[in-house]
Amino acid sequence: MDAQMDTGSLAGTRRWSVILGLLATVSLVAGLWMIFFYAPTESEMGVVQRIFYVHLPSALVAYLAFGIVALCSLGYLWLRDERLDAIAVCAAELGVIFTTAVLTTGPLWGRIAWGAWWVWDARLSFTLLLWFIYVGYFILRGATENPERGKRFAAVLGIVGAVDIPLIHMSVQWFRSQHPKPVVLKPEGPSLAPEMVQTLLVNMLAFMLLFFCLLLARYVVERLSRRIDATRLLRAA
Amino acid sequence: MSGFLSGAWAVARKDLLLETRSRERFVSMATFAMLVAVVFSFSLDPSVRARSIAGAMLWVTILFAGTLGLGRSFALERDSEALTGILVSPIPRGALFLGKFLANLAVVLAVEAVIFPVYGLFFGLNYGAGALGLLLVVLLGTIGFMALGTLFSAMAAHTRMGDSLLPVLLLPLLIPVVIFAASATQRLLIGRPLGEVQGSLRMLLAFDLVFLFVCTASFGAVVEE
Repeated sequence: MDAQMDTGSLAGTRRWSVILGLLATVSLVAGLWMIFFYAPTESEMGVVQRIFYVHLPSALVAYLAFGIVALCSLGYLWLRDERLDAIAVCAAELGVIFTTAVLTTGPLWGRIAWGAWWVWDARLSFTLLLWFIYVGYFILRGATENPERGKRFAAVLGIVGAVDIPLIHMSVQWFRSQHPKPVVLKPEGPSLAPEMVQTLLVNMLAFMLLFFCLLLARYVVERLSRRIDATRLLRAA
Repeated sequence: MSGFLSGAWAVARKDLLLETRSRERFVSMATFAMLVAVVFSFSLDPSVRARSIAGAMLWVTILFAGTLGLGRSFALERDSEALTGILVSPIPRGALFLGKFLANLAVVLAVEAVIFPVYGLFFGLNYGAGALGLLLVVLLGTIGFMALGTLFSAMAAHTRMGDSLLPVLLLPLLIPVVIFAASATQRLLIGRPLGEVQGSLRMLLAFDLVFLFVCTASFGAVVEE
Protein backbone atom coordinates (compact mmCIF):
# COMPACT_ATOMS: atom_id res chain seq x y z
CA MET A 1 0.00 0.00 0.00
CA ASP A 2 1.09 3.54 -0.68
CA ALA A 3 1.86 4.86 2.79
CA GLN A 4 2.18 8.47 1.67
CA MET A 5 -1.23 8.59 0.05
CA ASP A 6 -2.73 6.94 3.14
CA THR A 7 -1.62 9.74 5.46
CA GLY A 8 -3.41 12.38 3.45
CA SER A 9 -6.74 10.55 3.36
CA LEU A 10 -6.56 9.81 7.11
CA ALA A 11 -6.00 13.46 8.00
CA GLY A 12 -9.18 14.30 6.10
CA THR A 13 -11.06 11.52 7.88
CA ARG A 14 -9.85 12.80 11.23
CA ARG A 15 -11.01 16.31 10.42
CA TRP A 16 -14.48 15.01 9.55
CA SER A 17 -14.57 13.02 12.76
CA VAL A 18 -13.86 16.18 14.77
CA ILE A 19 -16.53 18.18 12.90
CA LEU A 20 -19.10 15.43 13.43
CA GLY A 21 -18.01 15.21 17.07
CA LEU A 22 -18.74 18.89 17.61
CA LEU A 23 -22.13 18.59 15.92
CA ALA A 24 -22.87 15.46 17.95
CA THR A 25 -22.00 17.23 21.21
CA VAL A 26 -24.31 20.15 20.44
CA SER A 27 -27.19 17.90 19.40
CA LEU A 28 -26.68 15.50 22.32
CA VAL A 29 -26.86 18.38 24.80
CA ALA A 30 -29.97 19.69 23.06
CA GLY A 31 -31.40 16.16 23.00
CA LEU A 32 -30.77 15.65 26.71
CA TRP A 33 -32.35 19.00 27.53
CA MET A 34 -35.41 18.02 25.49
CA ILE A 35 -35.63 14.61 27.18
CA PHE A 36 -35.72 16.12 30.66
CA PHE A 37 -37.38 19.51 30.23
CA TYR A 38 -39.23 19.64 26.92
CA ALA A 39 -40.95 16.28 26.41
CA PRO A 40 -44.06 15.82 28.55
CA THR A 41 -44.22 12.96 31.05
CA GLU A 42 -46.05 9.98 29.63
CA SER A 43 -49.35 9.47 31.45
CA GLU A 44 -49.33 5.67 31.80
CA MET A 45 -45.66 4.75 32.21
CA GLY A 46 -44.54 7.89 33.99
CA VAL A 47 -41.08 9.39 33.99
CA VAL A 48 -39.35 6.10 33.10
CA GLN A 49 -40.71 6.43 29.57
CA ARG A 50 -38.04 9.11 28.95
CA ILE A 51 -35.44 6.35 28.60
CA PHE A 52 -37.14 5.55 25.31
CA TYR A 53 -35.45 8.60 23.72
CA VAL A 54 -32.08 6.92 24.30
CA HIS A 55 -33.25 3.35 23.76
CA LEU A 56 -34.74 3.67 20.28
CA PRO A 57 -31.95 5.81 18.75
CA SER A 58 -29.35 3.34 20.13
CA ALA A 59 -31.21 0.45 18.52
CA LEU A 60 -31.44 2.20 15.15
CA VAL A 61 -27.75 3.08 15.23
CA ALA A 62 -26.85 -0.50 16.15
CA TYR A 63 -28.88 -1.87 13.21
CA LEU A 64 -27.20 0.66 10.93
CA ALA A 65 -23.80 -0.49 12.23
CA PHE A 66 -24.55 -4.14 11.52
CA GLY A 67 -25.79 -3.21 8.06
CA ILE A 68 -22.45 -1.51 7.41
CA VAL A 69 -20.63 -4.63 8.66
CA ALA A 70 -22.57 -6.80 6.21
CA LEU A 71 -21.96 -4.52 3.21
CA CYS A 72 -18.27 -4.05 4.00
CA SER A 73 -17.82 -7.80 4.55
CA LEU A 74 -19.30 -8.53 1.16
CA GLY A 75 -17.17 -5.80 -0.37
CA TYR A 76 -14.04 -7.14 1.32
CA LEU A 77 -14.49 -10.68 0.00
CA TRP A 78 -15.07 -9.25 -3.45
CA LEU A 79 -12.44 -6.53 -3.71
CA ARG A 80 -10.02 -7.59 -0.93
CA ASP A 81 -9.63 -3.96 0.04
CA GLU A 82 -7.98 -3.54 3.44
CA ARG A 83 -10.06 -0.40 4.11
CA LEU A 84 -13.38 -2.22 3.82
CA ASP A 85 -12.27 -4.72 6.45
CA ALA A 86 -11.18 -1.85 8.71
CA ILE A 87 -14.60 -0.19 8.38
CA ALA A 88 -16.32 -3.51 9.11
CA VAL A 89 -14.35 -4.02 12.34
CA CYS A 90 -15.04 -0.48 13.54
CA ALA A 91 -18.74 -0.69 12.70
CA ALA A 92 -19.04 -4.09 14.41
CA GLU A 93 -17.41 -2.71 17.54
CA LEU A 94 -19.78 0.26 17.65
CA GLY A 95 -22.69 -2.07 16.89
CA VAL A 96 -21.87 -4.17 19.94
CA ILE A 97 -21.54 -1.04 22.08
CA PHE A 98 -24.87 0.42 20.99
CA THR A 99 -26.57 -2.99 21.30
CA THR A 100 -25.22 -3.13 24.84
CA ALA A 101 -26.82 0.29 25.41
CA VAL A 102 -30.13 -1.06 24.09
CA LEU A 103 -29.87 -4.12 26.31
CA THR A 104 -29.12 -1.94 29.35
CA THR A 105 -31.75 0.75 28.86
CA GLY A 106 -34.43 -1.81 27.93
CA PRO A 107 -34.46 -3.72 31.24
CA LEU A 108 -34.28 -0.45 33.23
CA TRP A 109 -37.52 0.56 31.58
CA GLY A 110 -38.99 -2.95 31.62
CA ARG A 111 -38.51 -3.27 35.38
CA ILE A 112 -41.03 -0.44 35.87
CA ALA A 113 -43.28 -0.88 32.84
CA TRP A 114 -43.52 -4.68 32.73
CA GLY A 115 -42.49 -5.45 36.30
CA ALA A 116 -39.62 -7.65 35.08
CA TRP A 117 -36.03 -6.93 34.08
CA TRP A 118 -36.17 -9.36 31.25
CA VAL A 119 -38.91 -11.11 29.29
CA TRP A 120 -38.38 -13.37 26.28
CA ASP A 121 -40.20 -11.03 24.00
CA ALA A 122 -39.43 -11.04 20.27
CA ARG A 123 -37.49 -7.80 20.07
CA LEU A 124 -35.50 -8.43 23.25
CA SER A 125 -34.54 -11.91 22.16
CA PHE A 126 -33.63 -10.62 18.71
CA THR A 127 -31.38 -7.88 20.10
CA LEU A 128 -29.72 -10.32 22.49
CA LEU A 129 -28.97 -12.73 19.64
CA LEU A 130 -27.53 -9.87 17.56
CA TRP A 131 -25.26 -9.07 20.47
CA PHE A 132 -24.09 -12.68 20.69
CA ILE A 133 -23.41 -12.92 16.94
CA TYR A 134 -21.20 -9.85 16.92
CA VAL A 135 -19.43 -10.72 20.16
CA GLY A 136 -18.65 -14.01 18.37
CA TYR A 137 -17.31 -11.91 15.47
CA PHE A 138 -14.63 -10.49 17.76
CA ILE A 139 -13.84 -13.81 19.42
CA LEU A 140 -13.36 -15.29 15.94
CA ARG A 141 -11.04 -12.49 14.84
CA GLY A 142 -9.08 -12.69 18.07
CA ALA A 143 -8.64 -16.45 17.84
CA THR A 144 -7.32 -16.46 14.27
CA GLU A 145 -3.52 -16.26 14.19
CA ASN A 146 -3.09 -15.47 10.52
CA PRO A 147 -4.46 -11.91 10.15
CA GLU A 148 -5.41 -12.29 6.49
CA ARG A 149 -7.37 -15.44 7.34
CA GLY A 150 -8.98 -13.64 10.28
CA LYS A 151 -10.30 -10.97 7.94
CA ARG A 152 -11.73 -13.55 5.56
CA PHE A 153 -13.37 -15.53 8.37
CA ALA A 154 -14.83 -12.38 9.89
CA ALA A 155 -16.20 -11.34 6.50
CA VAL A 156 -17.86 -14.73 6.04
CA LEU A 157 -19.41 -14.46 9.50
CA GLY A 158 -20.52 -10.91 8.65
CA ILE A 159 -22.29 -12.15 5.52
CA VAL A 160 -23.81 -15.32 6.98
CA GLY A 161 -24.91 -13.27 10.00
CA ALA A 162 -26.55 -10.69 7.75
CA VAL A 163 -28.49 -13.40 5.89
CA ASP A 164 -29.46 -15.10 9.14
CA ILE A 165 -30.56 -11.96 10.99
CA PRO A 166 -33.84 -11.52 9.05
CA LEU A 167 -34.59 -15.21 9.65
CA ILE A 168 -33.89 -14.81 13.37
CA HIS A 169 -36.11 -11.75 13.41
CA MET A 170 -38.94 -13.61 11.71
CA SER A 171 -38.61 -16.67 13.94
CA VAL A 172 -38.59 -14.86 17.25
CA GLN A 173 -41.49 -12.73 16.01
CA TRP A 174 -43.38 -15.93 15.33
CA PHE A 175 -42.27 -17.33 18.67
CA ARG A 176 -43.74 -14.52 20.76
CA SER A 177 -44.27 -10.81 20.94
CA GLN A 178 -45.18 -8.54 23.82
CA HIS A 179 -42.90 -5.60 23.08
CA PRO A 180 -44.76 -2.27 22.81
CA LYS A 181 -45.93 -1.91 19.22
CA PRO A 182 -44.30 0.77 17.07
CA VAL A 183 -45.60 4.18 18.08
CA VAL A 184 -43.76 6.39 15.60
CA LEU A 185 -43.41 4.61 12.28
CA LYS A 186 -46.86 3.36 11.45
CA PRO A 187 -49.27 4.00 8.59
CA GLU A 188 -51.74 6.25 10.40
CA GLY A 189 -49.00 8.61 11.65
CA PRO A 190 -47.29 8.87 15.03
CA SER A 191 -49.48 8.46 18.11
CA LEU A 192 -47.02 10.30 20.33
CA ALA A 193 -47.41 13.90 21.45
CA PRO A 194 -45.63 16.23 18.99
CA GLU A 195 -43.11 17.27 21.68
CA MET A 196 -42.24 13.60 22.17
CA VAL A 197 -41.72 13.07 18.45
CA GLN A 198 -39.50 16.15 18.26
CA THR A 199 -37.43 14.96 21.22
CA LEU A 200 -37.07 11.56 19.59
CA LEU A 201 -36.02 13.01 16.24
CA VAL A 202 -33.41 15.30 17.79
CA ASN A 203 -31.99 12.39 19.74
CA MET A 204 -31.95 10.17 16.67
CA LEU A 205 -30.00 12.82 14.81
CA ALA A 206 -27.63 13.21 17.77
CA PHE A 207 -26.99 9.46 17.96
CA MET A 208 -26.40 9.24 14.19
CA LEU A 209 -23.87 12.07 14.38
CA LEU A 210 -22.23 10.44 17.38
CA PHE A 211 -22.09 7.11 15.58
CA PHE A 212 -20.42 8.50 12.46
CA CYS A 213 -18.03 10.59 14.55
CA LEU A 214 -16.95 7.49 16.51
CA LEU A 215 -16.82 5.37 13.36
CA LEU A 216 -14.43 7.76 11.62
CA ALA A 217 -12.31 8.27 14.74
CA ARG A 218 -12.09 4.54 15.32
CA TYR A 219 -11.30 3.99 11.65
CA VAL A 220 -8.33 6.33 11.84
CA VAL A 221 -7.02 4.49 14.90
CA GLU A 222 -7.52 1.11 13.22
CA ARG A 223 -5.66 2.17 10.09
CA LEU A 224 -2.81 3.68 12.08
CA SER A 225 -2.42 0.60 14.26
CA ARG A 226 -2.36 -1.61 11.16
CA ARG A 227 0.30 0.61 9.65
CA ILE A 228 2.37 0.27 12.82
CA ASP A 229 1.95 -3.52 12.74
CA ALA A 230 3.06 -3.61 9.11
CA THR A 231 6.11 -1.47 9.85
CA ARG A 232 7.03 -3.72 12.77
CA LEU A 233 6.77 -6.80 10.56
CA LEU A 234 9.03 -5.11 7.99
CA ARG A 235 11.60 -4.24 10.67
CA ALA A 236 11.56 -7.76 12.06
CA ALA A 237 12.02 -9.31 8.61
CA MET B 1 -22.78 -30.18 -12.94
CA SER B 2 -22.10 -33.92 -12.91
CA GLY B 3 -18.43 -33.12 -12.11
CA PHE B 4 -19.62 -31.02 -9.19
CA LEU B 5 -21.83 -33.77 -7.81
CA SER B 6 -19.28 -36.53 -8.35
CA GLY B 7 -16.69 -34.38 -6.57
CA ALA B 8 -19.05 -33.87 -3.65
CA TRP B 9 -19.79 -37.56 -3.58
CA ALA B 10 -16.08 -38.43 -3.58
CA VAL B 11 -15.48 -36.21 -0.54
CA ALA B 12 -18.54 -37.54 1.29
CA ARG B 13 -17.56 -41.13 0.50
CA LYS B 14 -14.03 -40.58 1.83
CA ASP B 15 -15.35 -39.14 5.10
CA LEU B 16 -17.97 -41.83 5.56
CA LEU B 17 -15.46 -44.57 4.80
CA LEU B 18 -13.14 -43.18 7.47
CA GLU B 19 -16.06 -42.94 9.86
CA THR B 20 -17.37 -46.48 9.27
CA ARG B 21 -13.85 -47.85 9.77
CA SER B 22 -13.12 -45.98 13.01
CA ARG B 23 -16.64 -45.12 14.27
CA GLU B 24 -14.85 -42.47 16.37
CA ARG B 25 -17.34 -39.67 15.99
CA PHE B 26 -20.45 -41.82 16.00
CA VAL B 27 -19.54 -43.63 19.22
CA SER B 28 -18.53 -40.48 21.12
CA MET B 29 -21.60 -38.54 19.93
CA ALA B 30 -24.08 -41.31 20.65
CA THR B 31 -22.61 -41.99 24.09
CA PHE B 32 -22.60 -38.29 24.87
CA ALA B 33 -26.24 -38.00 23.75
CA MET B 34 -27.26 -40.86 26.05
CA LEU B 35 -25.39 -39.21 28.91
CA VAL B 36 -27.27 -35.96 28.27
CA ALA B 37 -30.48 -37.97 28.61
CA VAL B 38 -29.21 -39.38 31.92
CA VAL B 39 -28.31 -35.86 33.12
CA PHE B 40 -31.78 -34.66 32.15
CA SER B 41 -33.48 -37.44 34.07
CA PHE B 42 -31.47 -36.68 37.22
CA SER B 43 -31.71 -32.91 37.00
CA LEU B 44 -35.45 -32.69 36.33
CA ASP B 45 -37.84 -32.57 39.22
CA PRO B 46 -39.77 -35.89 39.36
CA SER B 47 -43.05 -33.99 39.16
CA VAL B 48 -42.18 -32.63 35.70
CA ARG B 49 -43.80 -34.69 33.00
CA ALA B 50 -40.99 -35.38 30.52
CA ARG B 51 -43.49 -35.61 27.67
CA SER B 52 -44.36 -31.94 28.02
CA ILE B 53 -40.76 -30.80 27.51
CA ALA B 54 -39.44 -33.64 25.33
CA GLY B 55 -39.20 -31.43 22.23
CA ALA B 56 -36.81 -29.12 24.01
CA MET B 57 -34.78 -31.97 25.53
CA LEU B 58 -34.41 -33.74 22.19
CA TRP B 59 -33.21 -30.66 20.36
CA VAL B 60 -30.82 -29.61 23.11
CA THR B 61 -29.34 -33.10 22.90
CA ILE B 62 -29.15 -33.03 19.10
CA LEU B 63 -27.46 -29.62 19.12
CA PHE B 64 -24.93 -30.58 21.80
CA ALA B 65 -24.08 -33.98 20.34
CA GLY B 66 -24.00 -32.55 16.81
CA THR B 67 -21.67 -29.71 17.80
CA LEU B 68 -19.40 -32.24 19.50
CA GLY B 69 -19.13 -34.24 16.28
CA LEU B 70 -18.75 -31.19 14.04
CA GLY B 71 -15.67 -30.20 15.99
CA ARG B 72 -13.89 -33.22 14.54
CA SER B 73 -15.20 -32.66 11.03
CA PHE B 74 -12.11 -30.85 9.74
CA ALA B 75 -9.65 -32.04 12.39
CA LEU B 76 -8.17 -34.80 10.24
CA GLU B 77 -7.65 -32.51 7.27
CA ARG B 78 -6.06 -29.87 9.44
CA ASP B 79 -3.76 -32.14 11.45
CA SER B 80 -2.26 -33.97 8.49
CA GLU B 81 -2.35 -30.95 6.12
CA ALA B 82 -4.61 -33.07 3.94
CA LEU B 83 -6.83 -30.09 3.16
CA THR B 84 -4.13 -28.75 0.86
CA GLY B 85 -4.27 -32.05 -1.00
CA ILE B 86 -8.01 -31.81 -1.45
CA LEU B 87 -7.76 -28.15 -2.45
CA VAL B 88 -5.27 -28.84 -5.25
CA SER B 89 -7.46 -31.63 -6.62
CA PRO B 90 -9.86 -30.56 -9.39
CA ILE B 91 -12.86 -30.45 -7.04
CA PRO B 92 -14.74 -27.14 -6.89
CA ARG B 93 -14.82 -25.56 -3.43
CA GLY B 94 -18.62 -25.75 -3.38
CA ALA B 95 -18.45 -29.49 -4.05
CA LEU B 96 -15.97 -29.91 -1.21
CA PHE B 97 -18.42 -28.15 1.08
CA LEU B 98 -21.34 -30.23 -0.13
CA GLY B 99 -19.39 -33.47 0.38
CA LYS B 100 -18.37 -32.49 3.90
CA PHE B 101 -21.94 -31.45 4.61
CA LEU B 102 -23.37 -34.77 3.37
CA ALA B 103 -20.92 -36.78 5.47
CA ASN B 104 -21.71 -34.74 8.59
CA LEU B 105 -25.42 -35.07 7.87
CA ALA B 106 -25.18 -38.85 7.59
CA VAL B 107 -23.25 -39.16 10.86
CA VAL B 108 -25.63 -36.92 12.81
CA LEU B 109 -28.69 -38.67 11.36
CA ALA B 110 -27.20 -41.96 12.52
CA VAL B 111 -26.75 -40.50 16.00
CA GLU B 112 -30.34 -39.25 15.94
CA ALA B 113 -31.43 -42.79 15.09
CA VAL B 114 -29.99 -43.68 18.51
CA ILE B 115 -31.22 -40.58 20.36
CA PHE B 116 -34.90 -41.04 19.53
CA PRO B 117 -35.29 -44.68 20.69
CA VAL B 118 -33.23 -43.95 23.82
CA TYR B 119 -35.38 -40.95 24.74
CA GLY B 120 -38.50 -42.93 23.95
CA LEU B 121 -37.32 -45.63 26.33
CA PHE B 122 -36.04 -43.38 29.14
CA PHE B 123 -38.92 -40.90 29.13
CA GLY B 124 -41.78 -43.05 27.91
CA LEU B 125 -42.38 -41.13 24.69
CA ASN B 126 -44.76 -42.55 22.15
CA TYR B 127 -43.73 -41.72 18.57
CA GLY B 128 -46.37 -43.91 16.90
CA ALA B 129 -48.79 -41.58 15.13
CA GLY B 130 -46.44 -38.68 14.51
CA ALA B 131 -43.52 -40.77 13.23
CA LEU B 132 -43.65 -39.49 9.64
CA GLY B 133 -43.88 -35.87 10.77
CA LEU B 134 -41.04 -36.34 13.26
CA LEU B 135 -38.88 -37.87 10.55
CA LEU B 136 -39.43 -34.81 8.35
CA VAL B 137 -38.83 -32.32 11.18
CA VAL B 138 -35.62 -34.04 12.24
CA LEU B 139 -34.35 -34.35 8.69
CA LEU B 140 -35.09 -30.72 7.78
CA GLY B 141 -33.81 -29.38 11.11
CA THR B 142 -30.60 -31.38 10.85
CA ILE B 143 -29.94 -30.22 7.27
CA GLY B 144 -30.01 -26.58 8.37
CA PHE B 145 -27.92 -27.36 11.44
CA MET B 146 -25.28 -29.17 9.40
CA ALA B 147 -25.14 -26.54 6.64
CA LEU B 148 -24.15 -23.82 9.10
CA GLY B 149 -22.22 -26.29 11.24
CA THR B 150 -19.99 -27.51 8.41
CA LEU B 151 -19.10 -23.95 7.38
CA PHE B 152 -18.27 -22.85 10.91
CA SER B 153 -16.39 -26.02 11.83
CA ALA B 154 -14.10 -25.32 8.86
CA MET B 155 -13.44 -21.87 10.31
CA ALA B 156 -13.11 -22.99 13.93
CA ALA B 157 -10.61 -25.70 12.97
CA HIS B 158 -8.24 -23.01 11.71
CA THR B 159 -8.29 -20.88 14.85
CA ARG B 160 -6.30 -21.02 18.06
CA MET B 161 -9.43 -21.90 20.06
CA GLY B 162 -10.41 -24.78 17.80
CA ASP B 163 -13.54 -26.68 18.75
CA SER B 164 -14.39 -24.48 21.73
CA LEU B 165 -15.13 -21.60 19.35
CA LEU B 166 -17.69 -23.55 17.33
CA PRO B 167 -20.72 -23.43 19.67
CA VAL B 168 -20.14 -19.73 20.39
CA LEU B 169 -20.45 -18.88 16.70
CA LEU B 170 -23.01 -21.50 15.78
CA LEU B 171 -25.72 -21.40 18.44
CA PRO B 172 -26.99 -17.83 17.96
CA LEU B 173 -27.24 -18.38 14.20
CA LEU B 174 -29.13 -21.64 14.71
CA ILE B 175 -31.97 -20.13 16.73
CA PRO B 176 -34.42 -20.01 13.78
CA VAL B 177 -33.95 -23.75 13.22
CA VAL B 178 -34.27 -24.44 16.95
CA ILE B 179 -37.49 -22.46 17.28
CA PHE B 180 -39.35 -24.21 14.48
CA ALA B 181 -37.84 -27.69 14.92
CA ALA B 182 -38.38 -27.88 18.68
CA SER B 183 -41.93 -26.54 18.58
CA ALA B 184 -42.92 -28.88 15.73
CA THR B 185 -41.33 -31.84 17.53
CA GLN B 186 -43.17 -30.98 20.71
CA ARG B 187 -46.52 -30.72 18.95
CA LEU B 188 -46.09 -34.04 17.18
CA LEU B 189 -45.06 -35.70 20.43
CA ILE B 190 -48.25 -34.67 22.19
CA GLY B 191 -50.24 -36.16 19.34
CA ARG B 192 -51.15 -33.15 17.19
CA PRO B 193 -51.80 -33.94 13.52
CA LEU B 194 -49.19 -33.41 10.81
CA GLY B 195 -51.26 -30.61 9.30
CA GLU B 196 -50.61 -28.43 12.32
CA VAL B 197 -46.85 -28.40 11.80
CA GLN B 198 -46.95 -27.91 8.04
CA GLY B 199 -46.07 -24.23 8.43
CA SER B 200 -43.03 -25.08 10.55
CA LEU B 201 -41.89 -27.69 8.04
CA ARG B 202 -42.14 -25.15 5.25
CA MET B 203 -40.10 -22.64 7.28
CA LEU B 204 -37.44 -25.26 8.03
CA LEU B 205 -37.23 -26.12 4.33
CA ALA B 206 -36.79 -22.44 3.48
CA PHE B 207 -34.03 -22.05 6.10
CA ASP B 208 -32.27 -25.14 4.72
CA LEU B 209 -32.26 -23.77 1.19
CA VAL B 210 -31.02 -20.35 2.31
CA PHE B 211 -28.29 -21.78 4.56
CA LEU B 212 -27.13 -24.33 1.98
CA PHE B 213 -26.88 -21.65 -0.69
CA VAL B 214 -25.07 -19.08 1.46
CA CYS B 215 -22.69 -21.59 3.01
CA THR B 216 -21.81 -23.28 -0.30
CA ALA B 217 -21.20 -19.88 -1.87
CA SER B 218 -19.01 -18.54 0.94
CA PHE B 219 -17.07 -21.74 1.67
CA GLY B 220 -14.50 -20.84 -0.97
CA ALA B 221 -13.48 -17.79 1.04
CA VAL B 222 -12.94 -19.95 4.14
CA VAL B 223 -10.58 -22.56 2.67
CA GLU B 224 -8.65 -20.49 0.13
CA GLU B 225 -4.95 -20.44 0.99
